Amino acid sequence: MKRQCLLLFACWTVLLICVPAMAHHGTSVTYETGKTITLTGTVTEFSFSYPHPQLYFDVKDATGTVQHWGSEFGPTPLMMKNMNAGWSRDSIKRGDAVTITCNPHKTPGATVCLTKELIINGKPLALTAGAQPAVGNKKE
Amino acid sequence: MAMRVPGVAIGLLIISVIGLSQTAPSGTGAHTKTATPFDHRNLTGKYHRESEFQTYSNVPGGANELQAFLLGQAPAPRKLNVPTEEAPFTAAGQAAFDKNIPSYGRRITEPKLGNDPQGMCDPWGVPRMLNGQVAGPHSTLELLQTPGRTFMFSEWHHDYRVIYTDGRKLPALDEVEPRWNGYSVGQWEGNTFVVKSLGFDERTWLDHNGYPHTDQMQLEERYRKLDADTLELTETITDPQYYSRPFKSDRKIWKLIKDGAKGWDEQIYCVPSEEFKFNKLIRDGGAGKPQ
Repeated sequence: MKRQCLLLFACWTVLLICVPAMAHHGTSVTYETGKTITLTGTVTEFSFSYPHPQLYFDVKDATGTVQHWGSEFGPTPLMMKNMNAGWSRDSIKRGDAVTITCNPHKTPGATVCLTKELIINGKPLALTAGAQPAVGNKKE
Repeated sequence: MAMRVPGVAIGLLIISVIGLSQTAPSGTGAHTKTATPFDHRNLTGKYHRESEFQTYSNVPGGANELQAFLLGQAPAPRKLNVPTEEAPFTAAGQAAFDKNIPSYGRRITEPKLGNDPQGMCDPWGVPRMLNGQVAGPHSTLELLQTPGRTFMFSEWHHDYRVIYTDGRKLPALDEVEPRWNGYSVGQWEGNTFVVKSLGFDERTWLDHNGYPHTDQMQLEERYRKLDADTLELTETITDPQYYSRPFKSDRKIWKLIKDGAKGWDEQIYCVPSEEFKFNKLIRDGGAGKPQ
C-alpha cells in the first residue's frame, strides 16, 4: 500500500511538472516534444561522444531520493562547432550544478530528456550552432 | 578603371587554365556560355548537400524533419525541386521493406525495436552513403580524381569508396563476392560522369528509410556539374527481385565548399561503444535504471 501511494505521488508530481508546459508542436519517436520540464541537479558525467553528446546528472526529489538522469544534445558535429562559440568539452564537469530545461522521454518512468536550455553553475550555454547563450559565456 | 577589365579577363583565364590542368583529361574545354568559366570534368572538391535529405527518391518524411526537431527548429520548407516517386516494389521487395525498421524517417523506431544497421555502426555502403546523410555538417562528400581512380569520401562514418576509371570492365554478377560498397567503374559520357556498380552486400539499405536491395542490384550514378560550384547526382537502380522496374532517385544537389580544405576534417566515425551507450542510456530511456 505504501509503495502504491508513493507511485501515485510520483505520477502526480510528473503530471504537475509536465502539463503546464505543453506548448510546442512536432513529433518524435523518442521525446514528448510538446512538453518541457525543468530539473536541477548535480552533474555526474558529461560524455562528449558520438552521435550526440550526453549529460548525466543526479536530481533529488522532495523526499531526498536521488534519481539518475540523462539528457542528449544536438548532433556531435554541431556541438563541436558550438565550441567555437564559447564553450568546450571541459565546460561541464562532474560536480557542477546544472539546471536543465528539456523535453521528456516518451517512455513512462524514463529519466531521460532532450536538452533545450542548459545552465551550468549559473551560466547559460548555447546549444545550437550559431546561437548565443542568454548570458555571455567566455571560454574558460 | 580602363586597366581593370583586361586584369579581370587575365585573371579568369589563369583560373580557367589552372582548373583544367588539375583535372582528368577533358577534351571539352571550359564552358563558354556562363559568366564564370569552369571545367565540367573537374569534380574534385568537398561538397555539402543542398537538396532535401529525405529518401532515395525524396518521398515525404525524412531525416531533415528529425534533424530540425533535434535542433528545436521548424523543418525547412521543402524545395520540391524534383518529382518524387514511391518505390515500385515487387511483393518480395515490399516484404523486405516491411522487415527493415529504421531509426530515421517516416517509419522511425526506437533503436531497441528496430534493426537499422546504423544502430550497430555497420557500414552504410553504397548508395546509402549518397542518400542517407542528414542536413548539416554530416553531409559533406569529397571527391578526388586521380589517374585511373576517383575516390569518394563520405564524412559521416568516415568512409570512402573507389571508382575505377582505368578502362576496366565491370565483372559479371556471378563472378564477384558482394562487398559493402560494391564494385564501381566510371567513365565520361560528354560532360556527365557515369558510374556503374554491382556486387553489393544486401545487408545495406538504399537510404535512411530502409529501402532494401538484393545482391543482384545494379546501380548507375550520373554526376554533372551545373556550374563551377554545383554538382548534380541522379541514381537509378535495377533490382528485379525487389523493384518491378528501374527505380530512379530524385535529383541530388551538392554545393562546393570553397573553403573546405581550410578546416580540419571532422572525423565523424560511428563508434560502436559510444553508439551502444547512447542507445541504451538515452534513446532507449535507460539512464535511471540499474546498469
